Amino acid sequence: MEKPYILHMLTTEKNLSPFDVNMAQDAGWQVTMPYVNVAEDEVQALVQDAIFSRGPAGVKRTAIFIGGRSPEQAIKMLEQAKASMVPPFEVSVLADPSGAFTTAAAMVAAAERELRDKFDAELAGRRVLILAGTGPVGQIAAVLCAKAGCDVTILGRQKEKSERIANLCNEFFGQGQTRIRGEGNDKLPELLPTAEVIFATGAAGIQLLSEEQVAAAPKLMVAADVNAVPPPGIAGIDPMADGAPLEDSPAGAVGIGALAIGNLKYRAHQGLLRQMRETDRPVYLHYDQAFTLARESIRSNR
Amino acid sequence: MTTRTVLHMLSPRPQVSPFDINMAVDAGFDMVFPHANVNPDQVYALTQDIIFSRGPSGVKRTAIFIGGRDIGKALDMLETAKKAMVPPFEVSILADPSGAFTTATALVAAVEKQLKDKHGLEMKDCRAIVFGGTGPVGISTGVIASLAGADVTIVDHLSLDTAMQLAEEYNRRCGCNLKGTFASSGASKAWLVARADIIFNTTKAGIQVLDEEILEDAKRLKVVGDVNAVPPAGIAGVKPRDMGTPLTTAPNSPGAVAVGPLAVGNLKYRIQNAMLRDLLQTEKPVYFDFHEAFTRAREWV
Repeated sequence: MEKPYILHMLTTEKNLSPFDVNMAQDAGWQVTMPYVNVAEDEVQALVQDAIFSRGPAGVKRTAIFIGGRSPEQAIKMLEQAKASMVPPFEVSVLADPSGAFTTAAAMVAAAERELRDKFDAELAGRRVLILAGTGPVGQIAAVLCAKAGCDVTILGRQKEKSERIANLCNEFFGQGQTRIRGEGNDKLPELLPTAEVIFATGAAGIQLLSEEQVAAAPKLMVAADVNAVPPPGIAGIDPMADGAPLEDSPAGAVGIGALAIGNLKYRAHQGLLRQMRETDRPVYLHYDQAFTLARESIRSNR
Repeated sequence: MTTRTVLHMLSPRPQVSPFDINMAVDAGFDMVFPHANVNPDQVYALTQDIIFSRGPSGVKRTAIFIGGRDIGKALDMLETAKKAMVPPFEVSILADPSGAFTTATALVAAVEKQLKDKHGLEMKDCRAIVFGGTGPVGISTGVIASLAGADVTIVDHLSLDTAMQLAEEYNRRCGCNLKGTFASSGASKAWLVARADIIFNTTKAGIQVLDEEILEDAKRLKVVGDVNAVPPAGIAGVKPRDMGTPLTTAPNSPGAVAVGPLAVGNLKYRIQNAMLRDLLQTEKPVYFDFHEAFTRAREWV
């Protein structure tokens, strides 16, 4: 009998996300084993326990998933896991806390597609605003855009928090190579006239951009919203919208809704989980690889 | 549809060991279910919860694994679980905390075999020292070697009290006859080494407990066994795949041979795998701890 595929699923939270468990099962991981309340300093011991009992062939059918809530912590845990491998006893690892890596990757890739299709524009060089951008999805969307060459501003209720998160993005995720800014929401009227791409990454059911504000953004090309619960985070974007024109936009901007982002996120997430199952050499996957897969998925869907 | 096989894996620790989970899956259990943070006083209720929902034929496809790090606690949990059975509602149990029972039995059985093959001696003829003797694998090694007849001293690297207390506790628990001591300096290790026929090293990975200088003091050494797989070797000169290989680092014990960590590890793997498989093979439930593991290890070496 061939050894079953085992995914050891670690989270710092008290519950593992059932969403992630379903995804892993559907991607062909036959055993999805939960480890909850995992402390950062437990990672090495757990990883080394996981790699040593199935032999060199067994490790190819074993992998680790890192969930939790904090992108920073998840990346640190991913790095620790990677450093704990003892070749040839090494397994693949995927980090996707709160699904934020795959969601942000899908949102940015979908926006890039609309820029190219509707405006013949590149992602690089765009002025990007991320509303309610201090959470996990906002942080990673900011990092992906900045690394792709955008001029990015994270907005939030408290200027101090936005600045702190922008710093974290620049120093930790961007490794000093990005220039993401953080601002308070009071700056929004000043930033709208030049904004070309706007992402809304706030909590469900809160409107972050009104019709009037959409109308006050004359350069806006693409707006995307991860909120699927009415009212939409950006006025005029239906959850199913996948490049539909925004009624109130003077510039002919298009909108991408939560369900369209969700579809692409699903494909990227499945792709990452499959990659770990099919690879011969171990892979270490996070938002960069999620972005690559989301972009590939868009290309292959044409 | 046939009833799926289920292994309930209990551990007093915050996590059930991924090592054991992999082993259980690979041994063919359809469903492996972790129960972490289990207090020993919950075992009775959990066991009865486990035995009563699948009927008399379902229990034959259900078993319990007891893990954790503390071998005393695991033995207590095994006893409690046994008492909680209500025939015909009863399931098999394997206790192997930290993999210590299977590792220690593999280590002792391999060393015992070399003792017989290379020196024509039995455990009862020998004085054995266990470095790292107060950890789970060390205590188990001490208990098994002592029950096999050797005169065993478990060694803590810091505390005499720890070593003596544990020796006393496991003598009471397991009916063996351990002594405890500590050795923090090269001189105290050398003193112990000079009097040993057998040396076991079960200290944690990556630490060299006995270097070549200390090993010069070995005057009557017959067999060494080392479970440390991460360089440097716990006992200088032991190589991972050694199985009765001459130990060249003990010039004053010319016949001494070594058993290395991969040789022990391979045997341990086979014992644990076979015991997991055998949990569901018998008409009557079985209760496996280090006794059963040692019987199998001896047969296989």
